[in-house]
Amino acid sequence: MPDKPRDVGLLLPLKPKVLHILLAVADGPRHGYSIMQEVLERTDGQVRLWPAALYGLLRELEKADLILESDKRPAAAEDDERRRYFALTLHGKRVLDAEVRRLEAIVHHARASRALRKVRA
Amino acid sequence: MTSDRRAIREDGKRMLADARARGRVHLVMTWFALLWDLVFVGARHDLAQALRSVVRAPAVTLGISLLLGLGVAATTTLFAFVDAALLRPLPYDEPDRLVMMFESNVSQDRLREGASPGNILDWLDRNDAFDAITAMMTVSATLRAGDGGTPVAGVHVTRGFFDVYRRQPLLGRTFDAREFEGAASITSRQASSGEPVIVLSHHLWQSLGADPHLVGRTVSVEGREWSVIGVMPEDFAVPDAKAAFWAPWDMQTSYRGPRFPQGSPRDARFLRVVGRMKTGMSIEGAEARMQTLASGIATEHPETNAGWGVRLVPLADEIARTSRLELLLVFAAMFCLLLLLCANVASLAIARGVARAREIAIRLALGARGTRVTRQLIAESVLSAIVTIVIALLLTTWWVNAALSIAPDGIPRMHEVAMNARVATFAAVLALLVTAIGNAVPTFRASRTPIAGALKDGVAVSASTSGRLRGGLVVAEIAAAVMLLVGAGLLARTFAELRRVDVGFETSNLLVLRITPDAARYRTGAQTSDYYRRVLTSLREVPAIESVAAVTSLPMSTIGSEFTRPYWPEHAGPERKTDASIRMATPGYFGTLGLPVIAGREFSDGDEADAPRVVVINQKLASSAWGNENPIGRNLILDYQRGPYPYQVVGVVRDDRHDGPRSEPVPEIFIPHAQNPYLVLNVIARTTMDPMAVAQAARASALGVDPDQPVHSVTTMEQLLGDAVQLDRFAMLLITLFAVGGLMTAAGGVYALLAYTVVQRRREIALRMALGASPRRIAGSIVMESLAFAVAGGTIGMIGAAAGSRFARTLLFGVAPQDPATLVTAAVVLFLVVVAASWLPARRAALIDPGHAMRI
Repeated sequence: MPDKPRDVGLLLPLKPKVLHILLAVADGPRHGYSIMQEVLERTDGQVRLWPAALYGLLRELEKADLILESDKRPAAAEDDERRRYFALTLHGKRVLDAEVRRLEAIVHHARASRALRKVRA
Repeated sequence: MTSDRRAIREDGKRMLADARARGRVHLVMTWFALLWDLVFVGARHDLAQALRSVVRAPAVTLGISLLLGLGVAATTTLFAFVDAALLRPLPYDEPDRLVMMFESNVSQDRLREGASPGNILDWLDRNDAFDAITAMMTVSATLRAGDGGTPVAGVHVTRGFFDVYRRQPLLGRTFDAREFEGAASITSRQASSGEPVIVLSHHLWQSLGADPHLVGRTVSVEGREWSVIGVMPEDFAVPDAKAAFWAPWDMQTSYRGPRFPQGSPRDARFLRVVGRMKTGMSIEGAEARMQTLASGIATEHPETNAGWGVRLVPLADEIARTSRLELLLVFAAMFCLLLLLCANVASLAIARGVARAREIAIRLALGARGTRVTRQLIAESVLSAIVTIVIALLLTTWWVNAALSIAPDGIPRMHEVAMNARVATFAAVLALLVTAIGNAVPTFRASRTPIAGALKDGVAVSASTSGRLRGGLVVAEIAAAVMLLVGAGLLARTFAELRRVDVGFETSNLLVLRITPDAARYRTGAQTSDYYRRVLTSLREVPAIESVAAVTSLPMSTIGSEFTRPYWPEHAGPERKTDASIRMATPGYFGTLGLPVIAGREFSDGDEADAPRVVVINQKLASSAWGNENPIGRNLILDYQRGPYPYQVVGVVRDDRHDGPRSEPVPEIFIPHAQNPYLVLNVIARTTMDPMAVAQAARASALGVDPDQPVHSVTTMEQLLGDAVQLDRFAMLLITLFAVGGLMTAAGGVYALLAYTVVQRRREIALRMALGASPRRIAGSIVMESLAFAVAGGTIGMIGAAAGSRFARTLLFGVAPQDPATLVTAAVVLFLVVVAASWLPARRAALIDPGHAMRI
């Protein structure tokens, strides 16, 4: 499919679980179980994804063209033919980037807020 | 998708393996989480799609669920009654061993008489088939609590009572053997030898304030203080739900003394007897043993017992006896209506399925798997079932309570009817079932539509196979509606006739009061006579009261002592012995009631206690005893009180329908009240204006004579007459409701079928219009089609009604089962409804654009 820039703003904000999945596959293709592990680790065990829900989301993201099932597989020794690998698409990267920038802006505002400074003090 | 499923399974396994390493608690929790994840997240997709389709067409889905829910709720409401009356076991220990015991005499065609005290005592002594036997008798007694007296139903029970029923009290205890010893009857003027004790029913206890400390205190009944030893549970209703309390009774105590030289009588068969059979005893075996015993008693006492045997009936059957058939008929009718409703909904669903066939075909053509479509359809059906169940449960809860408040007395075990787990389960299962029939099956049929056919514009797919079936269903619905309509018409006419029938006396402007004096205060007959004389005199002075009198058993009134005694005309001898109803009346009774005296005279003040014994008889008795001869001045022998004595006939009155408009006159003997001063009387007053306007003044006047004596149940004869036809009114309302439901079902069926036909034939119709047919003509042809159904269904329905009304003959009164006016009315109503139902589809057909024919 030829990649044409689409309005990524429509997809924002991302659901927290979606954001975590996109982040997990940002550094390279991962299979389902590894996505779960990665998310669990990054969030200190706060966000746990369960398989049926995860694959439901993965298919939705695939439909929205944010990720795609990847043909790139690791070396045969580490591989398991039952595993399905997912990678971020260009569109997905744009959406993730936009979301991170959106969050950054929010954090920036939050830091500047006097009220929060008081709480920290 | 399959590969996803495999991946989900693999990942799940891996998570379980991790969890196992971290301990058992983690493992279990992971199991649950995975299960939750699978069931609720995995299936969410289908449910979400189903929800979307509901939201897209909420009217159709909700409409169908509402229709089915209504049907299920109506059926379940009836089920609640059927369940309580017929299906649920009686609330006693091992209820199968309980039997009702009757005395029966085949040659006299008296098969279900109560038992006589003398015979019961022999049964108790000599039987070897029963663990326990008890006799009971209900009397009307006055409970004094706070402000004046309340009439309540008290039940005398003999020694075996709680051994037969084996029910633990809710509070306190039941009677012990000592308490039965020498216990006199509740209303008797004798005193019991021991301290009088009673056990209260739940409802009496509630009405006394539901104080748990009432046990051990006393209540005042019939002018005596009784100590309350226990309270029974709510569902303990023996012999019926009216029973307010139970008191021990030693039968022999009541039949001692000079009035009963023979001891307990054997020919007064009036006691209700229930026995608990020995374990392992069959009812046939027990009956055979009791027959042997009865024939032994008959040999010893041929004058009273010749020809008399014993008949046993399972207690559950006996309780349900009076209305088993009616209940089942009504329930069956409702069930048929529900099935028709299902058929209608199925019909609608098929039509809708055809409309959806394109949607489904497109999805299949685009590569959706069959299972995927099926799963979505299942999800839709589940959703629709859930909505139906919720609607059905809500409506049932509401309707069961509504039905309880309008249902007539006399439906067995009605106090046990409630919205309980059984009833709710029935509603839920039935709702699932009707959803499956009415919704799921047709939808699945639609899912198997051939893709190529469905994708073509406007081609109805499942038309040819189901068209005839659906036509048949509509004819069946119309037939059922016609039968119900005819039934409703016949019962409505019956009811009108019942209200019009001449009961024999003047029912308007007649006030009725009931007085239950205290037996302890008015101990002698002379005192009682004097009390009533003063009450009647006082009432005569109330303005707008013309005349006043009193009687033991008033026509149309269910309260009062109603009994029969044997008599024979003196010239004929005791071979001509038959029974007549005995009533005690004060002077002026017939004049006040408006019951014409045909020959002789009415009672006068001269018919006093020590005057010659006289009676007034009715026409029925006069003609059966003396034929065409004049009975005035003749003697009849009445076996009453101290044995057979002659009484002189001084008057003959017209027959009346004593037990309600349906009842036939029975032989009646009236005795002057002064010559047999009964304590409890119905007082009637003929008024010159609306009797209820005089009621307060009349009651106050009667209370003025002795404020302690309860004057209650103030009502009018018109009201009593209304109560007497209460059951008929209920039957009429019920079947009218059914008829309306049936008509609506039929109309819905006609509508659904025609609407569908119009959609199916729209190209043909467009073509005809393009060729010059007028819209009017097209509409006419659709209406004609509906009339064809009406004629077919109507004919079948009329035949069915003619066949069925033979069974309903007992319900009818004053109208023939094939009453032409009713049949014609039913036909006209049906015709109008069917035409109305076809109007919308016909209009839609007439509005079809002829240009439609050009598109291929």
